[in-house]
Amino acid sequence: MTTTIAERDVALIDLIDRLLGGGVVIAGDITLAVADVDLVYVQLRALIASVATANEKNVLPRLGSAS
Amino acid sequence: MIELYAVVDHPGPRLPTLARLRTAATTRLAAIYAPADDGEISPERLWRHEEIVEALMQDRDLLPVRYGTRLDDERAATRFLTDREEPLVSALDDVRGAVELAVRVLRTGERPDARSRPDPVTSGAEYLRRKAGSAAAERSATLAVHEPLSAAARRDVRRPSSVTGELLRAAYLVDRNRVDEFVSLVARLQDANPALRLLCTGPWPPYSFAER
Amino acid sequence: MSDKFLHRPAELDPFATALPRLDDALSRRVNSGPENVERGLAQLVLTIVELLRQLMERQALRRIDDRTLSEDEVERLGQTFMALAERMDELRHEFGLDPEDLNLNLGPLGNLL
Repeated sequence: MTTTIAERDVALIDLIDRLLGGGVVIAGDITLAVADVDLVYVQLRALIASVATANEKNVLPRLGSAS
Repeated sequence: MIELYAVVDHPGPRLPTLARLRTAATTRLAAIYAPADDGEISPERLWRHEEIVEALMQDRDLLPVRYGTRLDDERAATRFLTDREEPLVSALDDVRGAVELAVRVLRTGERPDARSRPDPVTSGAEYLRRKAGSAAAERSATLAVHEPLSAAARRDVRRPSSVTGELLRAAYLVDRNRVDEFVSLVARLQDANPALRLLCTGPWPPYSFAER
Repeated sequence: MSDKFLHRPAELDPFATALPRLDDALSRRVNSGPENVERGLAQLVLTIVELLRQLMERQALRRIDDRTLSEDEVERLGQTFMALAERMDELRHEFGLDPEDLNLNLGPLGNLL
Protein backbone atom coordinates (compact mmCIF):
# COMPACT_ATOMS: atom_id res chain seq x y z
CA MET A 1 0.00 0.00 0.00
CA THR A 2 1.38 3.41 -0.91
CA THR A 3 1.61 5.96 1.84
CA THR A 4 -0.18 9.17 0.97
CA ILE A 5 0.90 12.58 2.21
CA ALA A 6 -2.11 12.76 4.53
CA GLU A 7 -1.20 9.44 6.14
CA ARG A 8 2.36 10.52 6.82
CA ASP A 9 1.27 13.90 8.17
CA VAL A 10 -1.46 12.51 10.39
CA ALA A 11 0.82 9.92 11.95
CA LEU A 12 3.52 12.57 12.34
CA ILE A 13 1.20 14.79 14.40
CA ASP A 14 0.67 11.97 16.89
CA LEU A 15 4.39 11.22 16.89
CA ILE A 16 5.34 14.85 17.59
CA ASP A 17 2.76 15.07 20.37
CA ARG A 18 4.57 12.21 22.05
CA LEU A 19 8.21 12.84 21.29
CA LEU A 20 8.09 16.53 22.20
CA GLY A 21 5.36 16.47 24.82
CA GLY A 22 6.19 13.31 26.75
CA GLY A 23 8.84 10.99 28.06
CA VAL A 24 10.97 10.93 31.15
CA VAL A 25 12.39 14.38 31.77
CA ILE A 26 15.90 14.52 33.08
CA ALA A 27 16.97 17.35 35.32
CA GLY A 28 20.59 18.29 35.63
CA ASP A 29 23.48 18.39 33.22
CA ILE A 30 21.59 18.03 29.99
CA THR A 31 21.33 19.68 26.65
CA LEU A 32 18.02 19.65 24.88
CA ALA A 33 18.58 19.18 21.19
CA VAL A 34 15.11 20.31 20.21
CA ALA A 35 15.82 23.92 20.96
CA ASP A 36 12.79 25.56 19.49
CA VAL A 37 9.69 23.79 20.66
CA ASP A 38 11.15 22.75 23.97
CA LEU A 39 12.50 26.21 24.68
CA VAL A 40 9.04 27.69 24.26
CA TYR A 41 7.66 25.16 26.73
CA VAL A 42 10.49 25.68 29.17
CA GLN A 43 10.40 29.47 28.97
CA LEU A 44 6.66 29.62 29.53
CA ARG A 45 7.02 27.32 32.51
CA ALA A 46 9.86 29.43 33.90
CA LEU A 47 7.91 32.63 33.34
CA ILE A 48 4.84 31.40 35.12
CA ALA A 49 6.79 29.73 37.89
CA SER A 50 8.67 32.94 38.58
CA VAL A 51 5.50 35.04 38.58
CA ALA A 52 3.92 32.56 40.99
CA THR A 53 6.95 32.67 43.28
CA ALA A 54 7.10 36.44 43.17
CA ASN A 55 3.42 36.58 44.10
CA GLU A 56 3.96 34.24 47.01
CA LYS A 57 6.83 36.30 48.33
CA ASN A 58 4.81 39.47 47.87
CA VAL A 59 7.50 41.13 45.80
CA LEU A 60 5.24 42.18 42.94
CA PRO A 61 3.81 45.69 43.24
CA ARG A 62 0.09 45.59 43.77
CA LEU A 63 -2.01 47.28 41.13
CA GLY A 64 -3.46 50.53 42.36
CA SER A 65 -1.57 50.48 45.64
CA ALA A 66 -0.72 53.88 47.04
CA SER A 67 2.91 53.21 47.91
CA MET B 1 27.68 13.76 23.82
CA ILE B 2 25.26 10.87 24.08
CA GLU B 3 21.57 10.82 23.29
CA LEU B 4 19.21 8.94 25.60
CA TYR B 5 16.42 6.73 24.28
CA ALA B 6 14.87 4.83 27.15
CA VAL B 7 15.12 3.61 30.71
CA VAL B 8 14.68 -0.16 31.10
CA ASP B 9 15.03 -2.94 33.67
CA HIS B 10 18.50 -4.24 34.31
CA PRO B 11 19.46 -6.90 33.52
CA GLY B 12 17.33 -7.20 30.37
CA PRO B 13 17.25 -8.78 26.91
CA ARG B 14 20.15 -8.13 24.51
CA LEU B 15 20.11 -4.87 22.63
CA PRO B 16 19.13 -4.93 18.96
CA THR B 17 22.07 -4.08 16.67
CA LEU B 18 20.80 -0.63 15.77
CA ALA B 19 22.26 2.86 15.82
CA ARG B 20 25.26 1.77 17.96
CA LEU B 21 23.07 1.39 21.06
CA ARG B 22 24.73 0.94 24.45
CA THR B 23 23.61 0.82 28.06
CA ALA B 24 24.60 2.59 31.23
CA ALA B 25 23.45 0.45 34.13
CA THR B 26 22.94 0.48 37.87
CA THR B 27 21.85 -2.60 39.82
CA ARG B 28 18.17 -2.40 38.81
CA LEU B 29 17.95 0.01 35.88
CA ALA B 30 19.71 0.74 32.61
CA ALA B 31 19.63 3.78 30.33
CA ILE B 32 19.86 2.98 26.64
CA TYR B 33 21.81 5.54 24.65
CA ALA B 34 23.73 6.11 21.44
CA PRO B 35 26.30 8.66 20.34
CA ALA B 36 24.43 11.90 19.61
CA ASP B 37 24.47 13.04 16.02
CA ASP B 38 24.02 16.64 15.00
CA GLY B 39 21.84 18.03 12.30
CA GLU B 40 18.52 19.73 11.80
CA ILE B 41 15.39 18.23 13.28
CA SER B 42 13.26 16.75 10.54
CA PRO B 43 10.30 14.40 10.40
CA GLU B 44 12.69 11.70 9.14
CA ARG B 45 14.85 12.09 12.23
CA LEU B 46 11.84 11.92 14.53
CA TRP B 47 10.73 8.70 12.83
CA ARG B 48 14.22 7.23 13.08
CA HIS B 49 14.21 7.93 16.81
CA GLU B 50 10.77 6.36 17.09
CA GLU B 51 11.86 3.23 15.19
CA ILE B 52 14.69 2.68 17.63
CA VAL B 53 12.45 3.02 20.69
CA GLU B 54 9.86 0.74 19.06
CA ALA B 55 12.51 -1.87 18.31
CA LEU B 56 13.42 -1.83 22.00
CA MET B 57 9.75 -2.00 22.95
CA GLN B 58 9.38 -5.29 21.01
CA ASP B 59 10.86 -7.41 23.77
CA ARG B 60 11.02 -5.26 26.91
CA ASP B 61 9.14 -2.74 29.02
CA LEU B 62 10.56 0.74 28.88
CA LEU B 63 10.20 4.38 29.88
CA PRO B 64 10.87 6.51 26.82
CA VAL B 65 13.09 9.52 27.50
CA ARG B 66 11.98 12.98 26.35
CA TYR B 67 13.20 13.44 22.78
CA GLY B 68 16.38 15.46 22.39
CA THR B 69 17.81 14.66 25.83
CA ARG B 70 21.59 14.63 25.72
CA LEU B 71 24.16 13.97 28.39
CA ASP B 72 27.92 14.33 28.43
CA ASP B 73 28.78 10.68 28.79
CA GLU B 74 27.92 7.28 30.22
CA ARG B 75 28.83 8.40 33.71
CA ALA B 76 26.24 11.22 33.59
CA ALA B 77 23.62 8.68 32.50
CA THR B 78 24.46 6.39 35.41
CA ARG B 79 24.30 9.32 37.82
CA PHE B 80 20.85 10.23 36.52
CA LEU B 81 19.65 6.66 37.16
CA THR B 82 21.14 6.57 40.64
CA ASP B 83 19.69 9.93 41.62
CA ARG B 84 16.17 9.03 40.61
CA GLU B 85 16.13 5.28 41.05
CA GLU B 86 12.96 4.95 43.16
CA PRO B 87 10.62 7.14 41.06
CA LEU B 88 12.00 5.59 37.87
CA VAL B 89 11.48 2.04 39.10
CA SER B 90 7.88 2.76 40.10
CA ALA B 91 7.18 4.64 36.86
CA LEU B 92 8.51 1.64 34.95
CA ASP B 93 6.29 -0.67 36.99
CA ASP B 94 3.29 1.48 36.09
CA VAL B 95 3.74 0.96 32.35
CA ARG B 96 4.80 -2.68 32.57
CA GLY B 97 3.03 -4.83 29.94
CA ALA B 98 1.25 -1.85 28.41
CA VAL B 99 1.51 0.38 25.34
CA GLU B 100 0.18 3.83 24.53
CA LEU B 101 -2.64 4.39 22.05
CA ALA B 102 -3.47 7.83 20.68
CA VAL B 103 -7.04 8.92 19.96
CA ARG B 104 -8.17 12.10 18.29
CA VAL B 105 -11.80 13.04 17.73
CA LEU B 106 -13.01 15.69 15.29
CA ARG B 107 -16.44 17.16 14.91
CA THR B 108 -17.66 16.90 11.32
CA GLY B 109 -19.51 19.47 9.26
CA GLU B 110 -19.57 23.22 9.50
CA ARG B 111 -18.26 24.76 12.65
CA PRO B 112 -20.81 26.98 14.37
CA ASP B 113 -19.31 30.40 13.81
CA ALA B 114 -20.99 33.27 15.62
CA ARG B 115 -20.28 35.60 12.71
CA SER B 116 -22.04 33.56 10.05
CA ARG B 117 -25.25 33.23 12.04
CA PRO B 118 -28.20 34.93 10.45
CA ASP B 119 -29.23 36.49 13.75
CA PRO B 120 -26.35 38.46 15.25
CA VAL B 121 -26.13 38.36 19.01
CA THR B 122 -26.84 41.71 20.58
CA SER B 123 -27.79 40.76 24.12
CA GLY B 124 -25.00 39.89 26.53
CA ALA B 125 -27.12 37.27 28.25
CA GLU B 126 -27.87 35.62 24.90
CA TYR B 127 -24.14 35.58 24.05
CA LEU B 128 -23.35 33.72 27.28
CA ARG B 129 -26.32 31.37 26.82
CA ARG B 130 -25.04 30.33 23.39
CA LYS B 131 -21.52 29.89 24.75
CA ALA B 132 -22.87 27.70 27.55
CA GLY B 133 -25.00 25.70 25.12
CA SER B 134 -22.23 24.88 22.69
CA ALA B 135 -19.77 24.16 25.51
CA ALA B 136 -22.22 21.68 27.05
CA ALA B 137 -22.87 19.97 23.70
CA GLU B 138 -19.14 19.59 23.05
CA ARG B 139 -18.51 18.27 26.53
CA SER B 140 -21.12 15.55 26.26
CA ALA B 141 -19.93 14.51 22.78
CA THR B 142 -16.39 14.29 24.10
CA LEU B 143 -17.36 12.27 27.14
CA ALA B 144 -19.42 9.85 25.03
CA VAL B 145 -16.12 8.76 23.49
CA HIS B 146 -13.64 9.38 26.27
CA GLU B 147 -15.44 7.63 29.13
CA PRO B 148 -15.77 4.17 27.55
CA LEU B 149 -12.17 4.37 26.28
CA SER B 150 -10.94 5.46 29.66
CA ALA B 151 -12.70 2.47 31.24
CA ALA B 152 -10.90 0.13 28.80
CA ALA B 153 -7.50 1.64 29.60
CA ARG B 154 -5.20 1.40 32.57
CA ARG B 155 -4.65 5.15 32.62
CA ASP B 156 -5.38 8.06 30.33
CA VAL B 157 -4.14 11.57 29.67
CA ARG B 158 -5.98 14.29 27.81
CA ARG B 159 -4.06 16.90 25.91
CA PRO B 160 -5.37 20.33 25.03
CA SER B 161 -6.65 20.48 21.46
CA SER B 162 -4.68 22.48 18.97
CA VAL B 163 -7.20 22.69 16.15
CA THR B 164 -10.69 24.10 16.02
CA GLY B 165 -13.26 21.32 15.91
CA GLU B 166 -11.02 18.86 17.71
CA LEU B 167 -13.04 17.60 20.65
CA LEU B 168 -10.61 15.11 22.08
CA ARG B 169 -6.88 14.52 21.92
CA ALA B 170 -5.96 11.81 24.35
CA ALA B 171 -3.53 9.04 25.17
CA TYR B 172 -4.56 5.73 26.71
CA LEU B 173 -2.29 3.27 28.45
CA VAL B 174 -3.58 -0.14 27.34
CA ASP B 175 -2.40 -3.66 28.24
CA ARG B 176 -0.59 -5.19 25.29
CA ASN B 177 -3.06 -8.08 25.16
CA ARG B 178 -6.07 -5.76 25.21
CA VAL B 179 -5.10 -3.56 22.27
CA ASP B 180 -7.40 -5.40 19.82
CA GLU B 181 -10.28 -5.07 22.25
CA PHE B 182 -9.61 -1.33 22.59
CA VAL B 183 -9.45 -0.84 18.82
CA SER B 184 -12.76 -2.59 18.27
CA LEU B 185 -14.27 -0.40 20.97
CA VAL B 186 -13.06 2.63 18.99
CA ALA B 187 -14.78 1.22 15.89
CA ARG B 188 -18.02 0.70 17.82
CA LEU B 189 -17.86 4.25 19.20
CA GLN B 190 -17.35 5.56 15.65
CA ASP B 191 -20.48 3.70 14.51
CA ALA B 192 -22.46 5.04 17.45
CA ASN B 193 -21.37 8.65 16.82
CA PRO B 194 -21.71 9.39 13.11
CA ALA B 195 -21.27 13.15 13.67
CA LEU B 196 -17.73 12.55 14.94
CA ARG B 197 -14.56 11.28 13.25
CA LEU B 198 -12.38 9.05 15.37
CA LEU B 199 -8.73 8.32 14.73
CA CYS B 200 -6.66 5.84 16.70
CA THR B 201 -2.91 5.36 16.21
CA GLY B 202 -0.35 3.21 17.93
CA PRO B 203 0.97 1.23 19.59
CA TRP B 204 3.35 3.93 20.82
CA PRO B 205 5.93 3.74 23.58
CA PRO B 206 4.28 5.07 26.77
CA TYR B 207 5.54 8.63 26.26
CA SER B 208 2.52 10.21 27.94
CA PHE B 209 2.79 7.96 31.00
CA ALA B 210 6.49 8.03 31.66
CA GLU B 211 6.22 10.53 34.47
CA ARG B 212 3.67 11.23 37.13
CA MET C 1 4.33 4.83 9.44
CA SER C 2 0.99 4.04 7.80
CA ASP C 3 1.00 0.92 9.97
CA LYS C 4 0.47 3.18 12.98
CA PHE C 5 -3.22 3.44 12.07
CA LEU C 6 -5.35 1.18 14.22
CA HIS C 7 -8.64 2.84 13.37
CA ARG C 8 -9.07 5.54 10.74
CA PRO C 9 -11.85 7.21 8.81
CA ALA C 10 -11.68 6.98 5.01
CA GLU C 11 -10.99 10.71 4.81
CA LEU C 12 -7.79 11.55 6.69
CA ASP C 13 -7.16 15.14 5.57
CA PRO C 14 -9.10 16.83 8.40
CA PHE C 15 -6.73 15.16 10.86
CA ALA C 16 -3.69 16.59 9.06
CA THR C 17 -4.63 20.27 9.34
CA ALA C 18 -2.40 21.06 12.32
CA LEU C 19 0.73 19.96 10.52
CA PRO C 20 1.93 23.06 8.67
CA ARG C 21 2.20 24.77 12.04
CA LEU C 22 4.13 21.94 13.60
CA ASP C 23 6.59 21.92 10.73
CA ASP C 24 6.86 25.65 11.20
CA ALA C 25 7.60 25.21 14.87
CA LEU C 26 10.34 22.70 14.09
CA SER C 27 12.07 24.96 11.60
CA ARG C 28 11.43 28.34 13.24
CA ARG C 29 14.92 28.32 14.68
CA VAL C 30 16.25 28.63 11.13
CA ASN C 31 13.69 31.10 9.84
CA SER C 32 13.49 33.49 12.73
CA GLY C 33 14.81 36.95 11.98
CA PRO C 34 14.24 40.48 13.22
CA GLU C 35 11.10 40.85 11.09
CA ASN C 36 9.47 37.92 12.86
CA VAL C 37 10.26 39.03 16.36
CA GLU C 38 7.32 41.40 16.72
CA ARG C 39 4.84 38.83 15.51
CA GLY C 40 6.37 36.19 17.76
CA LEU C 41 6.10 38.44 20.78
CA ALA C 42 2.53 39.39 19.92
CA GLN C 43 1.72 35.70 19.60
CA LEU C 44 3.13 34.96 23.03
CA VAL C 45 1.34 37.86 24.70
CA LEU C 46 -1.97 37.29 22.92
CA THR C 47 -1.80 33.60 23.80
CA ILE C 48 -1.64 34.44 27.47
CA VAL C 49 -4.37 37.08 27.17
CA GLU C 50 -6.57 34.65 25.25
CA LEU C 51 -6.00 32.00 27.90
CA LEU C 52 -7.07 34.40 30.63
CA ARG C 53 -10.09 35.50 28.61
CA GLN C 54 -11.20 31.92 28.15
CA LEU C 55 -10.67 31.12 31.80
CA MET C 56 -12.73 34.12 32.88
CA GLU C 57 -15.46 33.29 30.41
CA ARG C 58 -15.62 29.72 31.68
CA GLN C 59 -15.72 30.97 35.25
CA ALA C 60 -18.60 33.31 34.33
CA LEU C 61 -20.53 30.41 32.79
CA ARG C 62 -19.99 28.44 35.98
CA ARG C 63 -21.29 31.31 38.08
CA ILE C 64 -24.39 31.48 35.91
CA ASP C 65 -24.93 27.75 36.43
CA ASP C 66 -24.70 28.33 40.17
CA ARG C 67 -27.43 31.00 39.79
CA THR C 68 -25.56 33.40 42.04
CA LEU C 69 -25.77 36.27 39.54
CA SER C 70 -28.63 38.66 38.91
CA GLU C 71 -30.09 39.07 35.43
CA ASP C 72 -28.51 42.47 35.18
CA GLU C 73 -25.09 41.11 36.15
CA VAL C 74 -25.37 38.33 33.56
CA GLU C 75 -26.24 40.85 30.87
CA ARG C 76 -23.30 43.09 31.73
CA LEU C 77 -20.89 40.13 31.91
CA GLY C 78 -22.11 38.93 28.53
CA GLN C 79 -21.62 42.35 26.96
CA THR C 80 -18.12 42.53 28.38
CA PHE C 81 -17.09 39.13 27.06
CA MET C 82 -18.64 39.84 23.69
CA ALA C 83 -16.61 43.04 23.44
CA LEU C 84 -13.46 41.25 24.64
CA ALA C 85 -13.86 38.52 22.03
CA GLU C 86 -14.26 41.13 19.31
CA ARG C 87 -11.22 43.06 20.46
CA MET C 88 -9.14 39.86 20.53
CA ASP C 89 -10.21 39.09 16.94
CA GLU C 90 -9.13 42.57 15.87
CA LEU C 91 -5.75 42.22 17.55
CA ARG C 92 -5.23 38.80 15.97
CA HIS C 93 -5.97 40.22 12.52
CA GLU C 94 -3.62 43.08 13.12
CA PHE C 95 -0.73 40.68 13.69
CA GLY C 96 -1.89 38.21 11.06
CA LEU C 97 -2.53 35.42 13.54
CA ASP C 98 -5.14 32.66 13.25
CA PRO C 99 -7.11 31.37 16.23
CA GLU C 100 -4.95 28.22 16.00
CA ASP C 101 -1.80 30.27 16.48
CA LEU C 102 -3.01 31.12 19.96
CA ASN C 103 -4.39 27.67 20.52
CA LEU C 104 -1.24 25.69 19.81
CA ASN C 105 0.64 27.40 22.56
CA LEU C 106 -2.16 26.82 25.00
CA GLY C 107 -0.76 23.29 25.24
CA PRO C 108 1.89 23.81 27.87
CA LEU C 109 -0.17 26.48 29.61
CA GLY C 110 -3.15 24.19 29.65
CA ASN C 111 -1.05 21.62 31.43
CA LEU C 112 -0.04 24.14 34.03
CA LEU C 113 -3.53 25.05 35.10
